[in-house]
Amino acid sequence: MMPTNLPQIALTKCVVYFYDGRSRTFYSFDRSHRNSKPNKALGMRRLEKMLFQGKLKGTWETAIVYENRVKGAELAKFKNGVRVS
Amino acid sequence: MENKPKRQNYDFGKLFIATKSFIDTYNQNKQDIKERLNANHRATAELITRLYAKQLNKAIQLGDTFENGTPGFRTYNPSLASCKGCTVRTIMNHKERLKAAGFIIKEVHHGKSGIELWINTEIFSERVKNLHPLVHVQQEQINNNRNVDMLITSEEGVRPQAHQQKDNYVTGTMQEQDMNTEESRISDSKSQTRCEKNLSTGESESAFLLHLVKDFWKYSKAVLYSDILLSEPEENDILNQIWASVYRKFKIKGSKKDWKSYQQILYKRVDMVSRWLERNPNRWIPPAHLYFHPENKKNGFNRTYEWFIKQETLKRNIRNQILIQKTEAEWLAHHKGEGKHKHKSRLQLFSLQRKRLVSYGDETLINAYEQSLQRTLIKLSTQ
Repeated sequence: MMPTNLPQIALTKCVVYFYDGRSRTFYSFDRSHRNSKPNKALGMRRLEKMLFQGKLKGTWETAIVYENRVKGAELAKFKNGVRVS
Repeated sequence: MENKPKRQNYDFGKLFIATKSFIDTYNQNKQDIKERLNANHRATAELITRLYAKQLNKAIQLGDTFENGTPGFRTYNPSLASCKGCTVRTIMNHKERLKAAGFIIKEVHHGKSGIELWINTEIFSERVKNLHPLVHVQQEQINNNRNVDMLITSEEGVRPQAHQQKDNYVTGTMQEQDMNTEESRISDSKSQTRCEKNLSTGESESAFLLHLVKDFWKYSKAVLYSDILLSEPEENDILNQIWASVYRKFKIKGSKKDWKSYQQILYKRVDMVSRWLERNPNRWIPPAHLYFHPENKKNGFNRTYEWFIKQETLKRNIRNQILIQKTEAEWLAHHKGEGKHKHKSRLQLFSLQRKRLVSYGDETLINAYEQSLQRTLIKLSTQ
């Protein structure tokens, strides 16, 4: 079951800028099962899957993955369906 | 496969000229002779330049583009000392002098992983394209025609290896100029206890093993995943997968030599995968985190071990066939009274051939030889 406090516990977040001008932040789900150790890479891969294969496919212009903390570093950037960094 | 951009290497000649001119300029400004950098400091600077350039060229060869700035020179003080044939203290003193002169601009200590030095950017500013990809490192090649340092050894009948350790002519200390990436044991002071020595050996061992994993991933990334972009957490995850699947968490104990030979086998396996992909555009491999996953039994990298074994077996069979054909030809020539063994008896020829084949240490080869010998002798006797 998806935890309700995901924005607090997620290791990474993805800010998505859609073609229609809206933007929205998605938080990563980093555990493979409830008691597993959080895996940052797994969360990032899931975000990437959401962007390229999930519901958001073809709807966004730019997506940026950051570390989910204050002044978190930029980890990945996607533009028009291509990873640029 | 896409055309890879031509890599720019550091040219040793230009670097040496830059180092020389840097030190000359520094010395010109100093009136007091004690303040100048002497020939010994110069030699240390040149050693650092050469090894750093070698390290950078190797990194470039593995596909590093230095987008986040040029990395520092990773080394160990004892290792530099054994390369130069002096003590660690001398190296430390020389580094201080070179830092004061501005040749070394920064030094970072990494504990068990040694030190990292940043050299003045004036010296490492220029890169050239002229290195042929097949030439390993130009200046490292040994000229076999020269008189100096010819293949003459103190022990009679002992041939030195291609990358032999050289004596320092001044101090008589052993040099390991091509082995600078690992920590040297030469500098262990007598004041250290046995316990401390064991601890540092374990640390250097783990650093060595970590290097193996990183090098393997660097190589596979350059060969198999040249066009993907990965962030640090993703790379770390892949390194963990490689550590678990390819190296089996280093549970199998082996010497450094064993691990190095295993590493060479791994590189060969990566090359095999690369060739397999090139042969047909419809072939694919999964993303790196799945390809190196320990649980991936279906299309993981571990399956290439079977390919490797198959290839080696085939190679061995072909080699055996060639050797057997050669023996058969020798018997035929001997029977006709021709060839270089015509004056030998049959027993002499047999023992000569058997000795030659036993040296390969392959039992199947000996069995095949015995069978072929029977066939050949029966054939010859019926003629």
